[in-house]
Amino acid sequence: MSRGTIASRYTWSSAGIFLILLVAAFFTLFPIYMGVLNSLKTEGEMLNNILSMPAKLQFANYSDAFHKIEFIRSLGNTIVVAAVGLAGIIVFASMAGFRLSRTPGRLSGFLFGLFVMSMLIPFHSIMITLVKISRELSVQGSTFGLGFIYIGLGVSMAIFLYHGFVKSIPRELDEAAVIDGCGEFRLFFKVIFPLLLPVTATVAILNLLWMWNDFLLPLLMLTDSDRYTLLLSVNMLFGQYGNNDWSAILASLVLSMLPVIIFYLMLQKYILNGIADGAVKG
Amino acid sequence: MGWTRKSKSSIILLAFVAPALLFYAVFTLAPAFGGVWYSLTDWNGLNPAYRWVGLDNYIEALTDDSVFIDSIWFTLKYVLFMVVLQNIIAIALAVLVETRGRSKALFRTIFFMPNMISMIIGGFMWLFIFTKVLPYVAVTWGLPFLDRSWIGDPKTSFFSILILSLWGGVGYLMVIYMAALQGVPKSLKEAAMIDGANARQIFRHVTLPLIYPSLTIGIFLTLNNSFKVFEAVFALTGGGPGRATQVIAMNIMEEAFQLQSRYGYASAKAMLLFLIVFLITLIQLRFMKNREVEA
Repeated sequence: MSRGTIASRYTWSSAGIFLILLVAAFFTLFPIYMGVLNSLKTEGEMLNNILSMPAKLQFANYSDAFHKIEFIRSLGNTIVVAAVGLAGIIVFASMAGFRLSRTPGRLSGFLFGLFVMSMLIPFHSIMITLVKISRELSVQGSTFGLGFIYIGLGVSMAIFLYHGFVKSIPRELDEAAVIDGCGEFRLFFKVIFPLLLPVTATVAILNLLWMWNDFLLPLLMLTDSDRYTLLLSVNMLFGQYGNNDWSAILASLVLSMLPVIIFYLMLQKYILNGIADGAVKG
Repeated sequence: MGWTRKSKSSIILLAFVAPALLFYAVFTLAPAFGGVWYSLTDWNGLNPAYRWVGLDNYIEALTDDSVFIDSIWFTLKYVLFMVVLQNIIAIALAVLVETRGRSKALFRTIFFMPNMISMIIGGFMWLFIFTKVLPYVAVTWGLPFLDRSWIGDPKTSFFSILILSLWGGVGYLMVIYMAALQGVPKSLKEAAMIDGANARQIFRHVTLPLIYPSLTIGIFLTLNNSFKVFEAVFALTGGGPGRATQVIAMNIMEEAFQLQSRYGYASAKAMLLFLIVFLITLIQLRFMKNREVEA
């Protein structure tokens, strides 16, 4: 076989691969593109030609959607829930994961097992009783309360990740700090916690994605529309207008997608690494 | 001295674990054990008094509730398709994207993007595609195979749900498989190439065995997530028409919060869901862990 044919066969297959990837990319972006495109048209224009460019950009759809889903309030609620949940998960799970990893013995093994045990339980298997307990504790209906529930649901996986990572930190560091007269909690937050940054990033990304995009738990917990998260507000809007007012609905979808997409494009290197790390250790 | 040091270390341990344990006990452990208990009672939302009924709820769910059984079969069918398709597509994309030079990062960014978006948002966008865009394209471009009831006909809407789920989930696994592929030593592939192996043989006999641990993780994740499917179906069909596309999670929701609030009975179904997921993942992990090899 001559050199030329190998080379040309190589470029042909390379072009074929590129084509396949282009088709897959088109498929991936198509719904988002169609959503953005038609969110900028009038309803009549959309029915007339769904694929065409908008004759004039209808930003009115966006101001309309902005009010209908109470964008600022819904975004604020979502941020409160995610911030409370994330802060609790990171602080509590790193403390527990560190000490559990450092302490030998039966008590420590038992507690670690207790946390890990629940990682296989599907959320749907506990949700009915969770609703009852939350109602009795008056946690139901509040954004802070929802954040607390996320802490309870999220700590076990985070403890598992911290527990594994702590093993790579030399014990001499703890001992040196103890000799210096550091208290146990000060030792942890001053010396150890900063060293956990790589795994903290992974924990933060996995949990943020989960809490931000979770729909079912907020649906069960937040009953008052003043407390609605972005997804609940969008769902409510959809329930009201359904198939009849797509331009407002598409605009609301694009609006509520925007924060995540910006976040993704800014931090994608860390996000993609976090996903890969979390899966390998998880 | 020895005893006091040991008990001191236990006290410190408990102090560090207590906050996490408190939240975990209240919002995960208590509901889990409570669920087991209530599944054995006839507790409902209307009547505060309830009594022990043994396994009656379980027996009723498995023998006398065709809607629930249908939702199990529908979910199993969905899980099967998802486990196979999602992993095959993710591996294929990972392999293809890895061959790219400069465009690699761009493709990775694009394919992962749907994973950042909630299935509710993505679901409504696809609903727009299925109910508005495809019928329009079918008529204007004369493509009759696109002109079907993507949402209304349960046979087709199963595939609509699959398309949405794959769209939203493939990127996550692709990232995991790409990380695994990057861990396969180049020297091994080169050695196989020198020995005269072609691209397919190298993939089958060198790459695939070495990314096997990731395959275990990938299948584990797909199994776990697919059994819990809710948002995708909620956004697209709402379980309809009728209950034709109702999944287990939806059936439990309906039983507990919409019909007669039979919490005890719904808890029994929830425990059955847990048992199914638990058994199947256990078998999967057992089976696949035994076949893993070292690089």
